[in-house]
Amino acid sequence: MIRRCALALWLLASAGAHAGMAEHAQRSHTTGIDVITYRTDVKDVVVIQGWLPAGDAFSGTDNAAIPTLTGLLLDRGTTAQDKYAIAQALDSVGAEISVTVGEQSAEIRAKCLKKDLALVVGLIAAELRTPALLPEEFAKAKQQFIGELQSSLDNTESRAQEAFARAVYPPDSPNRPHSTAEFLTAAKSATLDEVKAFHTKYYGPAHFTLLLVGDVDTKQALAAVAKSFAGWTGGEDFIRTSGAGTPPGPREVMVPLADKPSVTVFLGQSTGLRYKDPDGLALRVGTAILGRGFTGRLMSTVRDKEGLTYNIGATVTEDSFTGGGWELTASFAPALLDKGVAAARRELQNWWKNGVTDKELSERKQGIVGSYLVGLSTTAGLANSLMAALQRGYDLTWLDQFPAAVNALTLDQVNAAISRNLNPGTMVLVEAGSVESASR
Amino acid sequence: MLFLALTAAVLAGGGAHAAPAAVAGFSYVRSSGGIDEYRLDDNGLSVLLVADHSAPVVTFQVTYRVGSRNEVTGTTGATHILEHMMFKGSEAFNDPKGNSIKQFLERVGGQFNANTSDDRTSYFATVGRENLEGYIAIEADRMRHLWLRESDRQSEMTVVRNEYERGKNDPDNVLVEQVTAAAFVALPYHHPTIGWRSDIEHVPIAKLREFYDTFYWPNNATVTVVGDIDPAETLGLIGKYYGVYPHSPQPIPEMYTEEPAQLGARRVVVKRPGELGTVVIAHKVPNGRDADQPALEMLDAILSEGKNARLYRALVDSGLALNAGAGTDLHRDLSLHLIYAALAPGATHEKVEKALLDEVARVKSAGVTAAEVESVKQRFIAADAYKRDGTAGVAGELNEWIAVGDWTLYVDFPKKVEHVTPADVQRVARRYFTEDQSTTGWFVPVPAPAEHGS
Repeated sequence: MIRRCALALWLLASAGAHAGMAEHAQRSHTTGIDVITYRTDVKDVVVIQGWLPAGDAFSGTDNAAIPTLTGLLLDRGTTAQDKYAIAQALDSVGAEISVTVGEQSAEIRAKCLKKDLALVVGLIAAELRTPALLPEEFAKAKQQFIGELQSSLDNTESRAQEAFARAVYPPDSPNRPHSTAEFLTAAKSATLDEVKAFHTKYYGPAHFTLLLVGDVDTKQALAAVAKSFAGWTGGEDFIRTSGAGTPPGPREVMVPLADKPSVTVFLGQSTGLRYKDPDGLALRVGTAILGRGFTGRLMSTVRDKEGLTYNIGATVTEDSFTGGGWELTASFAPALLDKGVAAARRELQNWWKNGVTDKELSERKQGIVGSYLVGLSTTAGLANSLMAALQRGYDLTWLDQFPAAVNALTLDQVNAAISRNLNPGTMVLVEAGSVESASR
Repeated sequence: MLFLALTAAVLAGGGAHAAPAAVAGFSYVRSSGGIDEYRLDDNGLSVLLVADHSAPVVTFQVTYRVGSRNEVTGTTGATHILEHMMFKGSEAFNDPKGNSIKQFLERVGGQFNANTSDDRTSYFATVGRENLEGYIAIEADRMRHLWLRESDRQSEMTVVRNEYERGKNDPDNVLVEQVTAAAFVALPYHHPTIGWRSDIEHVPIAKLREFYDTFYWPNNATVTVVGDIDPAETLGLIGKYYGVYPHSPQPIPEMYTEEPAQLGARRVVVKRPGELGTVVIAHKVPNGRDADQPALEMLDAILSEGKNARLYRALVDSGLALNAGAGTDLHRDLSLHLIYAALAPGATHEKVEKALLDEVARVKSAGVTAAEVESVKQRFIAADAYKRDGTAGVAGELNEWIAVGDWTLYVDFPKKVEHVTPADVQRVARRYFTEDQSTTGWFVPVPAPAEHGS
């Protein structure tokens, strides 16, 4: 099925035909859940992805650690089975279920054989609906969370990312994370009652989406979902504030970490733009010309010609549910830090001021569409594209429309989106690592 | 570090496997699990073809059988630097012409990269099938017509050095590097694949040229093509672009060093600023082709995988560690087996090391259960199906078995794991995990100088 549909997309991209991947997906509301099934040519394998609004942003002014602690407890036993029994059930059929908690979503990812779909859907439902939330497991989850937070204090990437997001997103943006220090304090004082209350309020079908992709029999899949999730209620909507504006504070932030031979750099801003906004796609394509791949301007100059870094790029981020951000990231040796940042700023300024060229845009469009299609060739890649489209507020037809939407972008649209939504003069610079040994 | 993702094999699930293609200039060698091996007669290039028509994409990969095991002091990291230099252009395909490998592949949306390990260097891309020939042409050209210019070495040296520096940001990476260096005294696995910093900085372009001219020949390479291909047509393309090269003028040099016997336990301590400690216990085990490896794989799965794993129960569930596991870095020569744990806040290295050793001792004294073995086998059966989902994954795993020295283990190794018995697991634990043959490493965080940001 992927083969037939991807072929259709090639035609669509080049000739504007009316082919349809969306026609091969089935979307329904089953027991209040938004369920999408998509059958591909893969044999026996089913990939499951689901998400609901229960991320860190939903802690509000309450204990910041509760959303993550809730997520950590989901696979540590249900009211029907302890965690070892669940693990044994999965191991015995080679299936996998994992849960992660981000800023907005709690995300479930699973993989199983076709024959085990009902079992795995049942376990996902049990973990989401009826986690045991036992005091002893809560204590262990707290310890694990605290340990992971403590570990992250030594990581230049996570420290830079945190400092950057806190500097560019306004306080009401769900993209503005709690600091690690805040999480540590919160985790230590968190209570199981708070977790139970959070689970009751936020875990429900109201804004839960479930994708089942691969060797899926839709009828059987929907029956499994209906059986496992029947009677589930509740759930809240995603936070959809604009996230526009930049909080006051320093434009240059240093995060000193001892004995780090490579400094992680973030340079950027919040944009307030959502993916689906008129400038959203144009800014992404323009940003890809600056900062994606080996032929992006940053890699081809700052790395290839000048040899200042192993890694440099630029991307638009966190714009699915709410206004997002724009960031340039790189790594530099402390001795080359100033020179590297100056080179990055030079490329950024030139790109922002003079825009991209017709040739760059034409080639990048082709590359983006080609890469998109290659990415659809695996079940997990297809599931990821489906998830991204839905989270960005599109319906399934976006999978078919995406290549044409990219190809329809004009040079003026792209350059206007760059100059209208970004301002290098006010961007925030974060450097995390052994910055005190930098040559400055 | 390379931990092979070991999954059950047999690609041919579903349809009957077609007869091997007969193409002039190629000899058919053998088939296994839906994979056909051919040899280009004139120059000895090995070719593996895997037809998978589930998507209109193809992964093309060339594996050179040269890695950091072929380096010596002064040239450590040369294999990896050469891998970087392979993107600097070749005679027919380069940036000034607008047709370099990165320009071509990014224009057509290919997903591509290259990487170097102890035993091999590989270059690969997944592209729409209509772009396969374009990629083969570029990949073949740089096999023998690479630009190797001092100006490029100078700018790329600092790029590689930053890659090295990024790795050194992570204390666990440094710890494993030092444990490996202590475990291997004579074998070139002693030094990290990325090389020692001074060698990265000073290796001359002439040495890189010598390396290239010694190892980058068709008879030292395997081309793997997985995806929506017609085998005869694909062999025709490979013959067209790789058939222009002769066999290497000299035999490919063999690495003949052998590791001397280890005469007692070794210990390594890494102290530097950080947050939480780590314990690693390493043992040298046989090469990746050895008959004991499936039992070691079974043991590692029982120790490491899932919430029922022994190390999870003994260390994570008990609050001693944030995570714990075991695995083997499979090599062409001696491999290195690691058992490790990341300390939980408040845990001591002594307690964590003892807990790890206690679990190993438990396997040695009481063995593992039939239920544990059966559970791992079921995971391998499921993994057999998972691995068919995507051409790049198949090529990537074949790449590692080529490096170990026998690609047919891609098919056979999972079957061998499925025949492992509890007695096999206990036997290999007793045979290889002895104190005198161990190298134990601790990462001990020390306080950082006072931090003060702006």
